[in-house]
Formats: sequence, C-alpha cells, structure tokens
Amino acid sequence: MLTKEDDPNYVEPWLEGCKNAGISAKEISVMEALELEPNLAKDIVRVFRVPDSCVDGFRLCSHNKMSATRYGAKVFFYHQVTGINQKNGKVRSVSVKNAMTGETFDIGCRYLINAAGSWAGEVAALAGLHASITPDRGTLIGFNHRFTSRVINRLHASGDGDIFVPHGSITILGTTSVPTDRPDDTRPTYEEVAELLTLGEPLFPLTREYRILRAFAGTRPLYTPGGASGRKATRNFSVVDHSKDGLEGMVSVFGGKLTTYRLMAERVTDDVCKHLGVDEPCRTAEEPLVPEPKPEMLEKAKKYFPLHAISLMAARLGDELPKVLEKAELAGNNEARATGTHITDYAGNPLLCECELVSTVEVDCVASDPDSHSLTDVRLRTRLGMGTCQGAFCSLRTIGSLAEHGIELKYPPTENVFRFLQERWKGLRPVMWGLQAREMEMGRAMYIGLLNLDGAMNEQEN
Amino acid sequence: MSRKTDVVIAGSGPAGLMAAYMAARKNCKVRVISEGMGCLAIGGGYVDLLGYSEAGKRVEKPFEALKNLSESHPYSIIGDENIRKSLADLCECLKNQGLEMAPAKDADGAERNSLVPTILGTLKPTWLVPADLEGDIFEKAQKILVVSVQGFRDCKPALIISQLRRYASWKDKEFDPLVIPGPFAEHGRALNALDLARAAEREEGRKWLSQNLGNRGKNHDLVLMPPLCGSHAASTLRREMRNIIGCPIFEMLAVPPAVLGLRLRDAFLRELWKMDVEFFENSRVLRANVKDGQCVSVVAEASGREIEHVAKTFVVATGGTLSGGTILEQGKAREGIFGLDIKVPENVDDWTKPELLGDHIVTRLGVKVDGNMQALDENGKPCLENVYFAGRTLGGYVWTREKSGLGVAYASGWLAGRLAAEKVLGTGAAI
Repeated sequence: MLTKEDDPNYVEPWLEGCKNAGISAKEISVMEALELEPNLAKDIVRVFRVPDSCVDGFRLCSHNKMSATRYGAKVFFYHQVTGINQKNGKVRSVSVKNAMTGETFDIGCRYLINAAGSWAGEVAALAGLHASITPDRGTLIGFNHRFTSRVINRLHASGDGDIFVPHGSITILGTTSVPTDRPDDTRPTYEEVAELLTLGEPLFPLTREYRILRAFAGTRPLYTPGGASGRKATRNFSVVDHSKDGLEGMVSVFGGKLTTYRLMAERVTDDVCKHLGVDEPCRTAEEPLVPEPKPEMLEKAKKYFPLHAISLMAARLGDELPKVLEKAELAGNNEARATGTHITDYAGNPLLCECELVSTVEVDCVASDPDSHSLTDVRLRTRLGMGTCQGAFCSLRTIGSLAEHGIELKYPPTENVFRFLQERWKGLRPVMWGLQAREMEMGRAMYIGLLNLDGAMNEQEN
Repeated sequence: MSRKTDVVIAGSGPAGLMAAYMAARKNCKVRVISEGMGCLAIGGGYVDLLGYSEAGKRVEKPFEALKNLSESHPYSIIGDENIRKSLADLCECLKNQGLEMAPAKDADGAERNSLVPTILGTLKPTWLVPADLEGDIFEKAQKILVVSVQGFRDCKPALIISQLRRYASWKDKEFDPLVIPGPFAEHGRALNALDLARAAEREEGRKWLSQNLGNRGKNHDLVLMPPLCGSHAASTLRREMRNIIGCPIFEMLAVPPAVLGLRLRDAFLRELWKMDVEFFENSRVLRANVKDGQCVSVVAEASGREIEHVAKTFVVATGGTLSGGTILEQGKAREGIFGLDIKVPENVDDWTKPELLGDHIVTRLGVKVDGNMQALDENGKPCLENVYFAGRTLGGYVWTREKSGLGVAYASGWLAGRLAAEKVLGTGAAI
C-alpha cells in the first residue's frame, strides 16, 4: 500500500527490485483493495498484490524439533551451553547446564554449529572467538481482532511499524528497531508501542480503537562486522567457518531473518556435510516439517474434540496428533478410566481454554512431555491462554485438571499460575489502557483480589 | 415515569446498591442507572473488610488495623464509626432477605477475620461469613470432605486439597475428595457454578444434591464445596444440606459467574424493589450537565438513544478501570462521567512495576474526595456540590492486595447515599 505519507517515487525502483528478485507485484485498483480489505484507509494511493505469508513462530520451533527428532536428533531445551571444549585446535565437546535442574554434563561432537541467533556472539566467545553481533530489539503489538485477511505492507523503504499480519484470530502490527546491549532484552516499551500505533494509522485508521492483547518483543541477531547498526545493518546472513580463525570443527551462522531461516540452515548444513563427508542433498525445501494428518485420523478426532477445533489442534500437534487421539480414545472409554485418589474426568473431553480451543486431553499430553516444566511451556505448545482472556479463566482450570490427573510440573500449582500471570503481565504493561486494561483488572480481581494468590505466595510452604 | 427524581445513582455494584438503600430508607425518590451488573457478578460473596495492611501484612482484627492506614485511604476518609454503621446496615439489609452474615469471633468474643478456602486451594482473610458458621470451624475441623461436580471445570478437589496442605495450619488435616455426578443427564456445554446453583434450587436439583451428598459428611467435621446451594439470597439449601450431610458446609470462594456475590446482589435488589427504587438497566451514563459547580442532570444511553435524568443529587458508583468508571487512555486517566482528570505519568511504562505483585500506580488510581465524598479539584477544593463518589471510583487504595474491595464499596456507598439523601432533605450537616 502506498499511502499519502509515502514517497510515490519509491514505487518504480521497488517494482524494478521485485522484477529482479522474481517476485510478482500486480497493481490493483484502490476500490478492489477496499473490497478485499474493508478496514483499510479509504485514502490509500496505490495498491500492489505480492505473494506473502506468515508463520506461527511457536509452532515452527516445535515442528522443527519434531522433524529433527524424527531423523534421530536429540533436542535439549532449557540447556545453556557453558563451555566449548577443544583439543589440538579442534572442537571435541560442549559443556551444558540444565537450567531447570542445575545438572551439568558434556556432549561430545565431531562438529559444532553455532546457530544461537542473538546469542551467537556469546557462544562464539566461549570458543575464544570474536563475532560482532548487535542485538536489535523489535517490538510488536497483538490485537484481539483479525481485521485484515492478508498481510499488509506499507510501500516505502523498510522502516518501523509498516506491516500488519493476520495471525489466527488476531492481528500483529510490527515492528520497531532499537539497538540493545543484551540478547535477552525482550521487554516491549510504551514508547515503541506509541510509535507503532502512530505509524499504523495511515493503513488502518481504526488502529487505536482495536483492543490490544499485548505487546511483545524479540531481538534480531544483527551481524555488524563493519559497525553498521539498526535499520542500516544488513539482514543478510553469513556462514563463518572458524577454521579460518584456527579452530577446526566449528561453524557459525550469523545474522539473518526468520524469513530465510531454512536457507540459512541449508547453507550451514551443506558446509558441515562437506567436512563430514556426507553428500546427501538437502531436502528441507521440499519436505514438510510434519506430515499432513491422515483423513481417517481427523475423522476419528470428531468423536472426542469439538469439530471447529480439530483442524487447529491437528495443525499445532503435528507428530503428536496420534498420541493425543489415542489418549482421548482411552479416556473416552469408561472401563479404561483410572480410579483411585485422582478421579479422572475426561467425560466429554472439556475445553480448558475456550479462546484457543484447547481441550483437557491435549493439555494432559503436552504437560506430560518431559520438556514441559511450567504452564508457560504448555502455552507455547498449545496456545492456551494466548487469546482474549489472556489466561484469566484457563490457567485455574488447567492446574485443576492437571492436579486431578496427577500430572506434576516443576512448580507447585499456585506458583505456576503466578508465573503464568507474571509472564502475561510483561506484555500488558506497555499497553495498560482501554479494554486491555479492563481485562488486566479482571485477572487481578480474580487471582489477587478474590483468590488471594499474592497472599498464598508468602503463606504457603514448600 | 417522571424524568425528575431526588437521587440518581450511577452504577449497581455493591457501592451503588448500598447508596440506593441508604437514600431510599430516608424516603428519597431514588433511581439507579446501570450499564451492567457490577462486580458482584464476577467476584466476592463474603464481605472483605481489610485482610492485609498497606504494607502487605496480614490483618487479624481489621478495626485495629484501620487506624494505621494512610490518610488518603478511603477508610481513613470515611472514618471508623461510619464503617461500623455501614456494616450494621449491610447485615440488616441482608438479614431482611434471609441472608445472615457476621464476623467470626475469638473464644473471648472479639470479632476477627476468617481465613476461608477458595477453589484455588488458597486461604483468604475475609470479614463477614455466614452467621451460622462456627467461628473456629476452620481451625477445629480435622476431617474434611472436598466436594465438586463432574464436568465442572473450575473446581477440582485434588487441586484444593494439595494446595490447602501447603498451609501450616491445614497440613495435618485429613482430606477426602468427592466428585458427584452432574445434575443433568446431558448438557450441551460445560457447566459453571451458576448453572449448578440454579439447578440445585429446583425440586429435582434438591433431590440430586441430597441423594449424592446424603450422609457423606457423617464421618467428617467440615464439607467444602463450590457455591452451588442456590443463587438467591433467601435460599435455605445450604442449611438443609447441612442437616442431610451431617456436618457444617462451607461454600468456597469461586471465579465468575460469582454465585455468592449474586446472592448479595439479590438481597439488595429485593430490598430496593420494596422501597420502589427505579432501575434503568443496560444504560450507560455518558456525561453530566454541570452548572456553577452543581450537577443538573446526567445523560444516559438507552436502546440507542439518550435520556436525560434530572435529580437533586447524584451518586457516582461506576467502579474503576474494570467496570469502566475510570477511563484509561494512552498516557491519560479520567473519571468517566464528569471527565475529572486523574493525574498519571505520561509514560505508560511508569504506571506499573515489572513485578505483577508490585506497587502499581494504575491500581490505586481514582477520584480524590473529602469526608463528604465530594470530588476535590487540583487545589483540594470540592468541585461538584451535589455529587458524591463511592466504591472503586475512589483512589488511594489497592483493594486487590488489601482484600478491602467490598468493605470500601459498602462503607463508601453507605456514606455517599446518606449524604446525597440528607442534601435533598436539607438535613445534611458536614461531618
């Protein structure tokens, strides 16, 4: 979209760029654009249709893990690399620490790939190498509405607040670019939110009227060997073989964007394969991360899951769909129901999270995974608590259900709820007005005012 | 219906209903305008007075602790004596409708907070509990039956038991879980506490409860259950069930829809109907017409049009941020009807602390009032002569942390309603 505020002279060079990159860009009339997306500003100037898409970042991570595991990989979540051990100028192993248990151990390897994103510089430093990684914070706003069906970009030189992305039932507006000195600086600020809202208005005039769910931030791993930073720094990636630095058996991938993450992986893997003498061609561009669910499986799911939730659930569960279905079948069978201290209540497999349609069986399966330590881990895999109520109703139900089924997480139930709400709080702070402030007050009224969770944090033992 | 009345009350939460009750008792013509049902539908049910000091220390005897509150706290502005009187009138109003509540008493007869269980398995200090509950029941009970209903997602005995055991005073008690079948053969959606409470009030519901609970408490000292013994103030179900079960029953504090809160609301509505208080529901008060520091009328939305309500005095009990009484905008806060400015830092990040349980500016925002419950301007002078503020419209306290929500609401509503009526009758003396 070229708005009144954008430079019309940018259009021609941009079209030229699209042509050179093999990206189709077809102009449509403003009238047609408004028919497709009625919430757009009426005074937009020119509109081009380009191929675009979006991903669920949480799901992408978990499906990548599933795919890798299927091929024999072992994945250690919540493990920090604390040392890179070398002998005779060659990497032999890495030392890691389990952040949940404090346990430390070494993992031997013939080759080490440093793909730590914003932390890549710190990992390189463990090997005594220097890499110029400048973390750059980007803040985004999630709105509680899907007010566009397509990804909408401003037609101007890449800048802040120029993209709206529909994502499930919400819309995301991004992004800012603020240099930071910490890779884990993921606290969104009001200043950035206010800037984003101002920048969003020329595309969607009602931007300020939509209810905000929360703001969130991440850091870009900008690779800045020449000293450029912020928007000026390249978003390209570099594969660096550290044998040039005198260390064999280690390669780093610096910089890059999520858009090119698969290509980055392909390049770095090809590089490593050369060293390991593997000449299998890379197939990640052709092969889906998780297989499409079989139709008979979806048919079976209709017995235990709400119809409108099945496709969402199948999509997020990936490889784990059969396991969840099996559990649902077992739970649906009265004779198979366990009895005893914990009275199982799977009857009807009730939804625990109504905003994101997450059911009891799915939560049980995900929470039983050894990689699930907290309610937040369950959230990342299921989207529990990511919708309209932001966890106000589902967090109580979920810990109740888990307690009933004897599934224990790292933290006791009340502390789990507290940590869950604390995490949601982080995203609400910079947007504490309008309807989202009322929603926040609702959560505080329930858990603090009514249920005395704050008192419990001081008064409960162990 | 005449467009003119004596007292207009905006808001039908606990503060608004209490104000209406006080003004109506003084024979004023009272009209309540409300957009929704107020906070009683989403929480409460037992009446909190003060569970924690401003510094977060647990309070056993609230009336002793009230003295230590800061000057700007609504309780300090309202004053001890008024708080006591308001609680007495509250208890009388509830009793008239069959809902008897009272504070627990020590062995020596001194009134104190009760630490009551919630469906999260936490304990919460509260002031008024059912009057028939033995004061030391939670301390004395050794064998406890924790009951819920199949298909009721918000209340799970396993959770409650595991969490209650984490309190020193509860860890040596014996617990038994009991999940009874639901009251309906089939139901299309998940059940909430209000569904169950309404079902239990019907004849077949009574049978359902008594058949499933009959004698189950025989070997227990206390039964904890979600609030499902009826949704009305006058429901005698809990007391009936006590006889059937064979031991005392306590209904735990539960998440919305709040059956316990709705019982309080029901009691007030019935008392107010008796006194011919008018109700304008689903009607949001949009703005006020003010002339020379006097409010002449308020304009409220009604089915898509606007109606002007003229009155002699006005009580604003529209709640805080949650209910829409306080409007938060980017970098700004104001009271919703008169547009009274509420000072906040420009940077929204400064409204809160990073820790969820920190001391947040945003949680104590509200209108500043004097002892007459009248709003003060920036110079500390009352700026609206015939308008009285009550409930969470008031600033200067953090009800969530203090567990003082209903107490402040009832006490301030009581005072605002009384002052609004006295102004109409010309008997008002400044206090």
